[in-house]
Amino acid sequence: MTMAENTALELVAANGRPVRHTDLADAPLAVRELTVSYGQKPAVFSLDATFAPGRLAAIVGPNGAGKSTFLKAALGMVPKLSGQVIVFGQPLAAARHRIAYVPQRASVDWDFPTRVIDVVLMGMYRQLGLLRRVSAKQRDAALACLARVGMEDFSDRQIGQLSGGQQQRVFLARALAQDADLYLLDEPFAGVDAATERAIIDVLKAIRDEGRTVVCVHHDLTTVAQYFDDVLLLNVHKIAEGPVEDVFTAENLQKTYGGRLAAVHIDQLRLDPQ
Amino acid sequence: MFETLLDAFLFRAGYNAALVTVGTTLLGIAAGSTGTFIFLRKRALISDAVAHATLPGVGIAFMVLVALGGDGRNLPALLAGSALSAWLGLLAVQWISRRTRLAEDAAIGAVLSVFFGGGIVLLTVIQTMTTGRRAGLEEFLLGATAGMLFHDAVFIAAAGLLVLTLVIALRRAMTLVAFDPGFATSVGISVARTDLAMMALTMAVTVVGLKLVGLILIVAMLIIPPVAARFWSDSTNSVVWIAGLIGGTSGFLGAALSASAPDLPTGPIIVLVCFALFAVSITFAPQRGLFAAMLRYRAFHRHVHRRQGLLALARGEEILDPVTVSVLRKAGLVRRDGVATEAGRAQAARILRDERRWDIARQIHRDEAVINRQDILRPIEDVLTRDEIAEIDRRIGPPEAVPS
Amino acid sequence: MSTGRPDRKSRTAAFWRRACTALAAAVFAVTAQLPVTSAQAGPAKLHVVATTSMIADAARQVGGEEVRVRGLMGPGIDPHAYRQTRTDIAAMTRADLVLWHGLYLEAQLEEFMHKLAQRRSVVAVAESLPKDRLLRHDDYANQYDPHVWMDPQMWTGVVAAVRDALIAARPNARATFEANAARHIAEVEALAAYAADTLRSVPEQTRYLVTAHDAFNYFGRAYGFEVIGIQGISTESEAGLNRIAELVSLLVEKNVGAVFVESSVSDRNVRALIEGAAARGHKVSIGGELFSDAMGADGTYEGSYVGMLDHNVTTITHALGGTAPARGMNSRLSAGS
Repeated sequence: MTMAENTALELVAANGRPVRHTDLADAPLAVRELTVSYGQKPAVFSLDATFAPGRLAAIVGPNGAGKSTFLKAALGMVPKLSGQVIVFGQPLAAARHRIAYVPQRASVDWDFPTRVIDVVLMGMYRQLGLLRRVSAKQRDAALACLARVGMEDFSDRQIGQLSGGQQQRVFLARALAQDADLYLLDEPFAGVDAATERAIIDVLKAIRDEGRTVVCVHHDLTTVAQYFDDVLLLNVHKIAEGPVEDVFTAENLQKTYGGRLAAVHIDQLRLDPQ
Repeated sequence: MFETLLDAFLFRAGYNAALVTVGTTLLGIAAGSTGTFIFLRKRALISDAVAHATLPGVGIAFMVLVALGGDGRNLPALLAGSALSAWLGLLAVQWISRRTRLAEDAAIGAVLSVFFGGGIVLLTVIQTMTTGRRAGLEEFLLGATAGMLFHDAVFIAAAGLLVLTLVIALRRAMTLVAFDPGFATSVGISVARTDLAMMALTMAVTVVGLKLVGLILIVAMLIIPPVAARFWSDSTNSVVWIAGLIGGTSGFLGAALSASAPDLPTGPIIVLVCFALFAVSITFAPQRGLFAAMLRYRAFHRHVHRRQGLLALARGEEILDPVTVSVLRKAGLVRRDGVATEAGRAQAARILRDERRWDIARQIHRDEAVINRQDILRPIEDVLTRDEIAEIDRRIGPPEAVPS
Repeated sequence: MSTGRPDRKSRTAAFWRRACTALAAAVFAVTAQLPVTSAQAGPAKLHVVATTSMIADAARQVGGEEVRVRGLMGPGIDPHAYRQTRTDIAAMTRADLVLWHGLYLEAQLEEFMHKLAQRRSVVAVAESLPKDRLLRHDDYANQYDPHVWMDPQMWTGVVAAVRDALIAARPNARATFEANAARHIAEVEALAAYAADTLRSVPEQTRYLVTAHDAFNYFGRAYGFEVIGIQGISTESEAGLNRIAELVSLLVEKNVGAVFVESSVSDRNVRALIEGAAARGHKVSIGGELFSDAMGADGTYEGSYVGMLDHNVTTITHALGGTAPARGMNSRLSAGS
């Protein structure tokens, strides 16, 4: 299926019922036949996925399933072997300014001489460019983003002095400062405390309510139904995608996790029978 | 001796000394600022390899000049040769670490020694060449400032200003790439091109510094200033300009010192001054220095006693440790007879609440690094966010007063 | 035929036997010729290896046809910094006689020369000079200034030492060596007389010889000049920044009008000195290029000891206001000296 042949895409749930139509031109993020590999092993193979606008979507799958790789390929951070990435109907390079990315926490050097406020101001790079000085208005905007994640009192702290959850909140604030239409987050809830988790999901829902799109790689199956509208089940290949109530079923989970997720755990998720 | 030193500082030690001082000061500023980004990007060792890789280029340039009929003394040509072989050295390091299984430090070690050794061999060959006056090629190893001429100073000034301008222009991109290359890519900054620009600036500083401090020591001018500056600030922009300041001061003081007494080599003296500034930074910098840490420990000691004493007061227990009693008394929290004052009771109530909050926090944040930062010196309001504290308060109920 | 052809193995062996015999015969025939050929050319020349070009020149002068001299350091080479190469080592170990200067001139070769002396004939020609005639080193207590060739009178002693070394290596050519040495020493003494006469014409107040390094102390002692080198006795020492300032003051104070560059040393320090003096309003020019630690180009007059010193004396005299013949002692200096 090329873009020229099909501008409309029908999404079909596991039981064959059509779910919704999403025009490719509207889709904040769509990939076609995406294959990414590290060396000889494919991390993502021939993936077709489309994310609907204004929704909170989760990408779920076992470790090594290619979830982070999918995000990085979507952002052009890792080279793709084949396939297309379409962002708001355009190639990545043209629409990059509309995406904000929150990486996994581990990848940053916490001894780096930078303060919380500086990290948030990094999100305003597009407006500031290489040379423009930070104006008072921009500084206030950055503080406002910090306030949305509850970190406004910490603006002058060096980042190494923060707890894990606080660091995650700062990165989210940086993403907010980018004022993007599409937010991609890589395991935002990994290793954070309950209060931070609540703070983050509240912010994400607020962003969604503003009409923006949020896509998270998510590790905790127990909270998928609670937090997210849509889900993409991924294990190198796409298993299923669509609204949570239709797609997040025991059967799909078995397919995604292979034998790795014992039946008893799926029961614990208390999914509605289909 | 002090008179001559003072004269040197005030540019009165003679025209030549003034020239050298201006040159080394500018070099120090340029090297310190550029070096900050190399330090942040964790490429310090590569810059050393690049500096050592300049040597064969100098030798080859000399031989080419002589072959073309000159006498090999053309400084711009020699420096161009040095830049070219430094660039090849950099490419070699990248190629080896990407294409083979060798780690980057092995690649750096290999390139550094092979290029430098090759350069020494070339110098030995050159010494046997019968044509061409020796251009003082060994001077490139440790620098030789006595022979600095006016047009050398002009070249250094121009190059130094150019480097500084580019550092200022590119600082935001280089900071982003050093801190979070993934994020930088996601906002459209080319990490590869920014790294290239950074290495080009390093090479410019190296080439400029070859005649002043020599290729062996230029890495010190690049790395010591930012390391020292790190002790003074947590903000990247501040670290950059403090590093420039430290580098420039080292250049200035080092040149002046070497001009004030006979037989002092300028390059090594500059590096020693730089190290002295580093030693001062590590010892005396507020908050991050050793001295400050010592003072903090003393305060911590007092604080522990104060906290223990107040908790004891709050719980109605007897205070046994005389140090604790003396600390509380000095703070006006306890009267001479051991009875708590009004202020003491208020503080005791606050400390009790803080302690209760921490109990809950420890249960919630079981694996959190925040537990490691529970250093008693800070009340919990300084460590956790408002909503986190609200959560805790929900569990322990309202604050209690301490009975008198 | 009952016996048949011999089998392959023995045929191969027979072939090789015959081939080796033929080869041996050929080699024998060729080598048998050799003594005859060289005998026709006369006895072999003495192979002498000399370090500096000045010593090589002396060895050629004294040795004449008896010797083949190979010099290690050519024109423009600095002996203070010279490190031996593999080719040098090979030449020295195959030579019949190795002549070096000593007195720490070839500082990098000291250890090697001492080791070599245990296996071959090695003579340090300047070390045979009486110590009371040597100048002491400025910086090191037990060392001497090695630049003895700058005073022709001192150099006659070195020529004598070269002669003695050659005689020891080939006693049956004693007469030749003694005759050549006597002739050359006479030339050098004539040079000494020329130098004394010419340099006397330089006015007292301009007798300051400022050069890139301290190579001219013997010259200064012999002809009454104050000698100032920017670098010390060895070019390995880096000139401090302070030294330039010191020298600029001296130039201004003593009203020195000309300074000199050297062929084997970088001229940057000299040019810096000139700029420094100019900044104080005192004009100093380059009086000329002197041969300090190495001679001129091979095959030229300046490429010999006499020519080297002739050039130095004439150049210095012209630059500092004395009178000297335009083309030197023998009118053989190249134009523009």
